[in-house]
Amino acid sequence: MLTVEGVAVTFGEHTALDGVDLAVPDGALVAVLGPSGSGKSTLLRAIAGLEPLTRGRVAWDGDDLAGVPPHKRRFGLMFQDYALFPHKDVAGNVAFGLRMQGRRPEEVRARVTEVLALVDLTGFEHRSVTTLSGGEQQRVALARALAPEPRLLMLDEPLGALDRTLRERLTTDLEELLHGIGMTSIYVTHDHAEAREIGDQLVVMRAGKIEQMGSPDDVVAHPANEFVASFVGAR
Amino acid sequence: MDIDRARLIATARRAALLAVPVVFLTIFFAWPVAAIIHRGIGAEGFRTVVNDHRLREVAWFTVWQATVSTLLTLVVALPGAYVLSRYRFAGRSVVRALVTVPFVLPTVVVGAAFTRVLPHRFDHTVWAILIAHVFFNYAVVVRVVGGLWANLDPRLDEGAAVLGAPRWRSLLEVDLPLLAPAIAAAGAIVFLFTFTSFGVILLLGGPRHSTLEVEIYRQTAQLLDLQVAAALALVQLVAVVTLLLVTTRLQGRLAVQRRLRRREEAAARVRTTGQRLLLLANFTVMAILLGVPLLSLVERSFSVPGGGYGLAWYRSLASTGSSGLFVPPTEAIRNSLVFAATATLIATVIGGLASIAIGGRHTRLWLDVGLMLPLGVSAVTIGFGFLITLNRPPLDLRAKAVLIPIAQALVALPFVVRSVVPVLRSIDDRLREAAAVLGASPSRTWREIDLPLVSRALAVGAGFAFAISLGEFGATVFVARPDTPTLPIAIFRLLGRPGAANYGQAMAMATILMVLTVACVLVFERARIGDLGDF
Repeated sequence: MLTVEGVAVTFGEHTALDGVDLAVPDGALVAVLGPSGSGKSTLLRAIAGLEPLTRGRVAWDGDDLAGVPPHKRRFGLMFQDYALFPHKDVAGNVAFGLRMQGRRPEEVRARVTEVLALVDLTGFEHRSVTTLSGGEQQRVALARALAPEPRLLMLDEPLGALDRTLRERLTTDLEELLHGIGMTSIYVTHDHAEAREIGDQLVVMRAGKIEQMGSPDDVVAHPANEFVASFVGAR
Repeated sequence: MDIDRARLIATARRAALLAVPVVFLTIFFAWPVAAIIHRGIGAEGFRTVVNDHRLREVAWFTVWQATVSTLLTLVVALPGAYVLSRYRFAGRSVVRALVTVPFVLPTVVVGAAFTRVLPHRFDHTVWAILIAHVFFNYAVVVRVVGGLWANLDPRLDEGAAVLGAPRWRSLLEVDLPLLAPAIAAAGAIVFLFTFTSFGVILLLGGPRHSTLEVEIYRQTAQLLDLQVAAALALVQLVAVVTLLLVTTRLQGRLAVQRRLRRREEAAARVRTTGQRLLLLANFTVMAILLGVPLLSLVERSFSVPGGGYGLAWYRSLASTGSSGLFVPPTEAIRNSLVFAATATLIATVIGGLASIAIGGRHTRLWLDVGLMLPLGVSAVTIGFGFLITLNRPPLDLRAKAVLIPIAQALVALPFVVRSVVPVLRSIDDRLREAAAVLGASPSRTWREIDLPLVSRALAVGAGFAFAISLGEFGATVFVARPDTPTLPIAIFRLLGRPGAANYGQAMAMATILMVLTVACVLVFERARIGDLGDF
């Protein structure tokens, strides 16, 4: 279980996160919703250990992660525009995290095949990632994040770079996939429809603070304020 | 996380990486340059320079010829840049590659080619110098300006056309203002190169034309007046550092511009007769200016005494025979290859370490400029500096052949750094973050992400270093001993002697040097990733 307590992150004068409290129980899928610049991505980066905290703490099962560098946290992060390694092919990208765990080559190969099948990219192993379409790159990025079986999977606007029709189709696919594997996940988006469809829990952010959290239906039915109401599309 | 500790480790790592380059540059660059400054400031030489009418004229001629060469190059090459960047036609990439060839050629080869092709009344005139400078720097303008021009949004010109501007008006009022930073940067680079031009002026200018570089050499090698040479080198040093700072600033501005450009190219098909004539005119200029000298060099190297063609000159390279060298010319070829390989090794190791140390996000400007200095501080200054420092205890290397590759490595070093640093800087930081989140430690991240991308850039840099070392003349001429000539030195000596045999051998060796240089640049170019790298 992930706990975030009073976390603040500042960049010089600018406060990106301002006292965020959040708990993600094992197996939960939390959707974080907010306009751009509300601190969603910074929250994920702070949890991953990529952004030093100004205040507060991030803990896993009660253990403070303050001294744990990103590569030892066993969290997964799918970047907004994927950050695929351009010098490695599809299999090389997906295998990366597995190799870091020191798994045996045949084990790595089997897992890569398995995960690529999961995201419907069977046979893409030796394709160059630069020749893939946007939707295919998105699925490679997802496979890369899933493969090492992180204890927490974070997805930063995973569908943000895709066009509308593709996004609608993939939202359903992704929702089924994430619930199917039952991985503890945080899903960041600025699209309220996407957030409501995917999350068991909905967290609404504005200007570095959490405005409201609860089940999607609850938040839509009883928005805490005008901002939440307009942003989740309740009115 | 313990940020202070992490920062400390990063600093320590950088210091360890920098140790070797810093020691190397201190001994072989900072010390000689300091010695030049020390000697140059010594009153005698300086007073001579200021009071001597002829030396004042040399300084004036240096500035004058660089200015005129730069303007001429821009006038001749801008239409070429336009044609090669804005029109699509069969064989365009081949033409582009061919146009770049002169830039990598050794000055001695170019000098040799022009002694062959220019009519006799051009001998030892300023025209010969100017034409050779345009030949050399045509590619600089095509690459720097054309690179930006190719990506200028065509809708800007279309917009101007819809608003009633004829093509020439939109060229003048839309294209040129937008290209101004690129034109200024290209002009600054050409000015820097021609200001420090050495081989071309020595070979083509004759005794009447002398620039600061040539004068430093003559004062040292012929008049044995080290005081005056040091004073001249100091003047040259100050001028070049100033120029270098201006160039760096202009290039910095260009980098901003480059980021704004569109991805796809904006080249159009050739449609009207006017366009066809424009292309034809430019191809003619390229063929006459760039093609004819080189072809005529090759032609002369195969034409044997008594008419007809054959390998006579090439065969004669194996013997000392009539040649004015102390060793058979083939020995010079062997020397060149060995020295260039050693220089490449030194430049790649030192340049690679330095690039990795300064390639991070937070780079100190002085480190950057410090590594670039050898590029601006002319080869002649380096050679002269070696001569006055490394020839006595504590480091007496005068008689050692190792000085040659070290001097060549210094000249080649900036090219390695400039090939690697842009690639390192262009690596998206999120790739490193992605690797970290997937469980890669910092050192593992470096091995998996940075190293594979950098090693290709390093290969490109090594190729450049090898080509430059092969053709290096200005520094080598100071430190090479008579019995260990390199190819350029041998060509220079043979050209300075009378007789058809010497001339034929010089042509054959220049052809060999040209082929070697072009081949190695072509081979290593293949390793380049996209357009990254500054050259």
